[in-house]
Amino acid sequence: MKIAFNKRDAVYVQVVHHFKQLIAKGELAPGQQIPSRRELASDLRINPNTAQRAYKEMEEEGLIYTESNQPSKVTQDKALIEGMRHGIILEAVQAFIGSMHEINVPLDECVQLVKTNYEAK
Amino acid sequence: MIEVRDIKKRYGFKSVLNGVSFTAAKGEITCLIGINGTGKTTILKSIMGLTPFRSGEVLIDGKHLDKHAYEKITYIPDTITMLPSMRIFEALDFMKDFYSCWNAERAEELLKFFKLQGSDRISHLSKGNTAKVNMLLGLALDVDYLLMDEPFSGIDIFSREQIADVFTSHLVENRGVIITTHELNEIEHLIDKAVLLDGGKVLKEFQTEDMREQEGKSVVDVMREVYNQ
Repeated sequence: MKIAFNKRDAVYVQVVHHFKQLIAKGELAPGQQIPSRRELASDLRINPNTAQRAYKEMEEEGLIYTESNQPSKVTQDKALIEGMRHGIILEAVQAFIGSMHEINVPLDECVQLVKTNYEAK
Repeated sequence: MIEVRDIKKRYGFKSVLNGVSFTAAKGEITCLIGINGTGKTTILKSIMGLTPFRSGEVLIDGKHLDKHAYEKITYIPDTITMLPSMRIFEALDFMKDFYSCWNAERAEELLKFFKLQGSDRISHLSKGNTAKVNMLLGLALDVDYLLMDEPFSGIDIFSREQIADVFTSHLVENRGVIITTHELNEIEHLIDKAVLLDGGKVLKEFQTEDMREQEGKSVVDVMREVYNQ
């Protein structure tokens, strides 16, 4: 796992966001085990306190769960995952619409641009 | 927790510390930031009792410094403290003789981690490797607090990365670290707390993640604000 961190957003928030993307994309499957806090800190080269905070945040949001003495796992709650996926998509869409508004691009042109430029990978 | 309370220090007529106060918690990495000459080394030495101060106090876990404190706290200066003619393994033996909290196993682990040879003579080491030996000597002690003075100064990028990896590993886990630096590049995202120094005082003390989350500012952003007044 590798994340390019920016220095102005809280590191733990960036870690949580990264996990959300992996879960939304299905790269982390429901119920899949995730690295321990220590392993994550080492892999991502972050302060272990930050890894701890990211995990706490994800637990609170219900993205991961930890059974006693077991490594943490991705939630199995499909509705939650779908809701989160939708949230990420909406964020990206709103960012796009924001940029288009800034250059005063009308809706028809936006849609056309997306149609011609969109190529499913 | 290490508590530094209003310390004042002069070298002759030159006033270096004009009432410095800050805290460094166990389990956190606290970074003292300031340009050359702001008194970062003086602060570390004051905490260690290596230099006296005129007024103020330093508390380590609520107690003033005494001889037992040296089993709890160690200072890693930016110069090598061992005899240059010593081989690395001799330096390790030396430490074992002097400190009951010396962890020989961890020392071996660190030799591998830093890719150093025990048989190398200290005087023959490059600057980067000397810095790593220094770091090793401090990290292999089972102390609660580590004070590191400019661990990255003048070190090549790969050695810097190796040293930075120490902070993300179990090697400093649950320990309190105070590090001084004037260059933040590799470690800005690793530190828990930043203490900005200037004119012998603390201008600002803050938790880095809170600053990012609440004000969207990086440590360097805050430095620009604070130092440009």
